[in-house]
Amino acid sequence: MMKPFLSRRTVLRGMLGAGFVSVALPPLEAMMNATGTAYAGGTRFPKRFGVWFWGNGVLPERWVPTTEGAGWTPSPQLMPLMPLRDQVTVVSGTRVMTTNDSPHGSGPAGLLSGDNARGGSFLRPSLDQLIAQEVGGATRFRSLEVGVQRSTSSLSYTGPNQVNPPETSPRALFNRLFGEGFRLPGEMATADPRLALRRSVLDAVSGQAGRLRGRLGAADRQRLEQHLDGVRGLEQRIGRLEADPPNLAACARPMAPPEAFPDMEGRPQTRAISRAVSDLLVMALACDQTRVFFNMFSQPVNNTLYGRATAGHHQLTHDEPGDQPQVHTILVSIHEELAYFLSALRAVREGDGTLLDHLLVLATTDCSFGRTHAIDNYPILLCGGCNGAVRAGVHYRSTSGENASRVSLAILRAMEVRATDFGVGPGRVTDPLGAVLR
Amino acid sequence: MKRRILSGALLALAACGQPSGPPPPPLPPQDAGRDVTADVSRDTLPADRPAPDRPLVVAPGGGEFQPPRATLRRLTQAQYRNCIQDLYGEDIAISRPMEPDSVVDGFASIGAAEASISPRGVEQYEALAYDLAEQLLVPARRARTVGCTPAGPIDDACARAALAPAGRRLWRRPLSPEELDALVAVARRAAMTLGDFHQGLGFAFAALLQSPDFLFRVELGVPDRARPDRRVFVGHELASRLAFFLWNGPPDDALLDAAVAGALDTPEGLASEARRLLLSPKARRGLRSFVTEWLELARLDDLTKDTQLFPSFSPELGPAAREQTLRDFERMAFDLEDDWRELLVTRETHVTHRLAAVYAVPGPARETDGFRLITLPENSPRRGLLGQVSVLALRSHPVATSPTLRGRFIREGILCGFIPPPPVDVNTALPAPSMERRSLRERLQLHLSGEACAGCHIRMDPLGLGLEPFDAIGRFRRMDNGVVIDASGRLDGMDFRDFQDLTRRLREHPDAGSCMVTHLYRYATGHVEGDPELSEIDRLTAFAETRGNRLREIMFALATSDGFRRAGPTAEMP
Repeated sequence: MMKPFLSRRTVLRGMLGAGFVSVALPPLEAMMNATGTAYAGGTRFPKRFGVWFWGNGVLPERWVPTTEGAGWTPSPQLMPLMPLRDQVTVVSGTRVMTTNDSPHGSGPAGLLSGDNARGGSFLRPSLDQLIAQEVGGATRFRSLEVGVQRSTSSLSYTGPNQVNPPETSPRALFNRLFGEGFRLPGEMATADPRLALRRSVLDAVSGQAGRLRGRLGAADRQRLEQHLDGVRGLEQRIGRLEADPPNLAACARPMAPPEAFPDMEGRPQTRAISRAVSDLLVMALACDQTRVFFNMFSQPVNNTLYGRATAGHHQLTHDEPGDQPQVHTILVSIHEELAYFLSALRAVREGDGTLLDHLLVLATTDCSFGRTHAIDNYPILLCGGCNGAVRAGVHYRSTSGENASRVSLAILRAMEVRATDFGVGPGRVTDPLGAVLR
Repeated sequence: MKRRILSGALLALAACGQPSGPPPPPLPPQDAGRDVTADVSRDTLPADRPAPDRPLVVAPGGGEFQPPRATLRRLTQAQYRNCIQDLYGEDIAISRPMEPDSVVDGFASIGAAEASISPRGVEQYEALAYDLAEQLLVPARRARTVGCTPAGPIDDACARAALAPAGRRLWRRPLSPEELDALVAVARRAAMTLGDFHQGLGFAFAALLQSPDFLFRVELGVPDRARPDRRVFVGHELASRLAFFLWNGPPDDALLDAAVAGALDTPEGLASEARRLLLSPKARRGLRSFVTEWLELARLDDLTKDTQLFPSFSPELGPAAREQTLRDFERMAFDLEDDWRELLVTRETHVTHRLAAVYAVPGPARETDGFRLITLPENSPRRGLLGQVSVLALRSHPVATSPTLRGRFIREGILCGFIPPPPVDVNTALPAPSMERRSLRERLQLHLSGEACAGCHIRMDPLGLGLEPFDAIGRFRRMDNGVVIDASGRLDGMDFRDFQDLTRRLREHPDAGSCMVTHLYRYATGHVEGDPELSEIDRLTAFAETRGNRLREIMFALATSDGFRRAGPTAEMP
C-alpha cells in the first residue's frame, strides 16, 4: 500500500484516531461558509439518508411521548434518545393506508413503498432506493445495506423482487468498505492497469447481456436490466478508484472489528454487533463512501433472544401476558442501540456542525402494536437535521390519522428528490407532511 | 395447489367453532389419459412417450394442461458451486461470498425464477470470478484449463481454443462466433497490457463467469411446432433443465453431446438421458437439494436455543440434524428404493453422538465418529421424520415448543394444505400458565375457542399438539409444566391416540402422495402451479402411486413430463 501524504489533515486524523470522541478541530473555517454547512465556494456538505429498521413493533402506550412540539417529554421506550432529543422528531398518529393483509409485511411496504407487498416482495422501490437513484451516483457505493441480526432478508427494494440483501458480518462490512479499494483523503492511488481491464471485462459483460436482452419477455428483461445497472455501477465504481477520494476531514480508516461474534449461551451478541456495524456505517458516511444506507437492525417476525428474556422477541410480543414487561425491556434496548448510532453520528465534526446535522435517518418498525399487528398510530422517528430541511426535535401527533405516506413524501422533499406524489391507491399522497419540514 | 388450497380454506371456515372438520374429499383417481410406464430402475427400458410435437394430452376432469411461462433462473449458491466444481474439480475453492438465495414460497428455486442480481451481488460475483480465474490459471493447473501452449503473450488461436470449450461448459451451450470473438478480444487486450498470455486469459474467464449467460439459466424454449402458442424446451436448454433438476448442477459433456445430436428431442433419448442422470451419484446431490429446500433445512444453521434450558444444545446440533434427515431421504430413494412415505413412520435413522444423546439412544462414542445407521427400539416413542430434530427444533421457539408452527408444517409441508396469514387487530396473547391452564395444550385452547382464531388454528394446533412429547430441541418428555402430555387428537376426521399414531395417519393420508409430487413440481419448474397445471400434477401423482411412490420414479416421470418440457404462451415473448 502507498504511504499517504503527510498532510495537515492526516496529522489531525492521527490526533483523532478512529474513535468518535468529539474533538474540536483546529479551524478550517477558511474553507467553510458562515453556517458551517458548506465548503468554500458554496458546495454544501452532502445530505445523507438512511433507514434504521427494527422488527415486531412497539408498545404504543409506552412509546408515544405525552407532550407535543419541541422538548417533547420522553416516553419510557424513547428514554434512551433523551440526550439526542433536539435532533429527533417523533411522528405519531399517522396510519399506513394500504391494506393490512400481511402481518409485519403490510406496514413497512406501505410506509417505504406506498403500496402493498405481494408474494413476499415489495411492488415498488423503497424510499432509500428512490433517494439512491438521485444521489447514489456521486459515491463509491450507490447505497449500503447492513444488518445486525443474521439474515439475508431485507426491506430495501430497487423494484419488485429486486431486493438488496444486508451485510450482517461486521468484518465483511469492514473489508468491503475499508479493505482493498479504499483510500483516505490525500492518499495517492496505486497505478493499477488491472482497473482498466476490469472495466473492459464489464463492458464485454454488458455487450453479452445486450445479445440476450432481445430474446427475453418484459419481466425477464427488467431483471436483466437490474443486473446491468449493477454492472454499470461497478464500472463507475472502478473508475472512481482512479480518481481522488472525497476530501473530508473526519474520514479515517477505522479499526477492523473481530472476525466473528459467536453466540453467548445460545444468544446472539446483538449489542456488540450493532455497535460494530454502527461504527463502520458512521465512518462510511464520514468518508462519503455512500450517502444512502439501510440498516436492518432486526427482521420482521424475528425471534431473537435478548438479554435475559425468557423467550424470543416475536413470541413474547404475542404470548407475553399483561403489559408485557419483557417486550418493553427489549424495546428500550433497541432504542439504546439507535441512540448509540445517532450519538456516533453526532460525534463526527463536519464544518461547525456534525454529521448528524447533515443527514436524515428514518427509524421505524413493522407495525405499531406488535401483539395485534396494527398499522395505525405508526411509530416513526426522523433523526438528524438534513442540512436544515426538516424540523428537528419536535413531536408531531396527527389527531386525524393522516396517511403515513405523507411522511415518506416529506422525506423525499427533504432529500430534494423531485417527486410530486408518493405511493399508489390508498397509499398515494400528493402533499408532504409539512409539519416536519422547514 | 390452488384447488386444494381453496377447498382447504372453505373447510377451515366451515369448521369454525367446531372441534374438527370433516376430512377433505380424497382426490378422484385420475385416469391419466395415457399410459406413463417409463421406469427408471436399472434393468427396465423406458417405454415410448409422445414426441414433443404430438398433441398434448387432455387430462379428464382437470381441463387442458397449460404449462407455465418460461423465465430466466438465477443460479442458486449451491448451483454456482456445483457448476464450478463439477466442471473444474472439487479442489477449486469457492471461499468468497455471493448473492444470497432468495426464498419465495418456501423454495430458493422459486426465488431464483424471480430474483435479479443486486448491485452488491454484482460486486461479489466479480470478486469471485477473478478469484476463480486465478485458481484455474495458476501454473500447476493452467495446462488442464487451457489445453494448448501459447506461442507468446498474444496467441488468439490458443485463447480461442481454450475459451470455446470453457464457454460451452459454463454457458451450457456452444458460443456464437461473435461471442467468442468478444471474449478473445478481452483476453488479447489484457495479455497485451500485462505481457502474459495466461493472465490475459484470466480476464476472459472472468467475463464468462460474470455474464448473465452463466449467472442465469437461460431456458426460454422454442415455438412448439404442433402448438404455435406454446413453447417447448429442446436441445441445450433441455439438457440444462434436466441437469439442474436432477443433479442441481450443470450438464456434463455427455449430456451436452446428446443435446447437440438432437437425442433429447426424441422421447427415447430424453428418457435415456434422464435415466442416466438419475443413476449417477450426482442424483443423490439433486435429491438432497430438493429436500433441503422443501424442509427449509438451511435454517438449521441459525438455530437459536436457550442453552441454560437446553444444555445439550450446541450450534453444531442443527447441521447434524440436517445431515440426518438428508441421509435418511437419500437411503430411502437410492438404496432401499422404497415408498418415501415410509420415512414418516420408520424407526431406522442416522445419528451422530450428539444426536443420539438428544434422542436418548446408544450411538457413536464421539461426534468425530460421524453417523451410524440405527434402529430405534420398538417401544420408542420416537419415529419418522416428524420425530427428528430437523423438524422439532426448527418448528419451535428458542425456549418453548410451538404446536402452531409444528402443526402448520404438517398441514402445509406434508399435506399441502393452505393456512392464510393470521388476521390483524386480533389480541394474540396466550394466557399465562395458571392452576386452571398449566400445559401449553390447555393454554392453546384459546386459539380454538374464538371465532377469529379457530378457523385456521383448528387445522394446525391439534396436529402440532401431537408432537408435544418432544421439547423445543426435540428431546422426549412426558410432562409439560407438571401435566402429563396428552398427544392425542384428530387429523381430518381420523382420531389419533399419540404421536406414533399420528405418524401412521399421515403416512396413509390421501394428500401426502400428491403433496410430494406438488413440491417436486414446484422445485423443478421454479414456480407455484396454477390451476391449469393441476391436471399434470394429478397425472404424475397417479403415476407415482403405480410406482410405489418411489422418489426416483417420481423424479423421472417429472423430468420427462409435459410440465417440465413445455412453456406456456406468452404474449410478451417475441
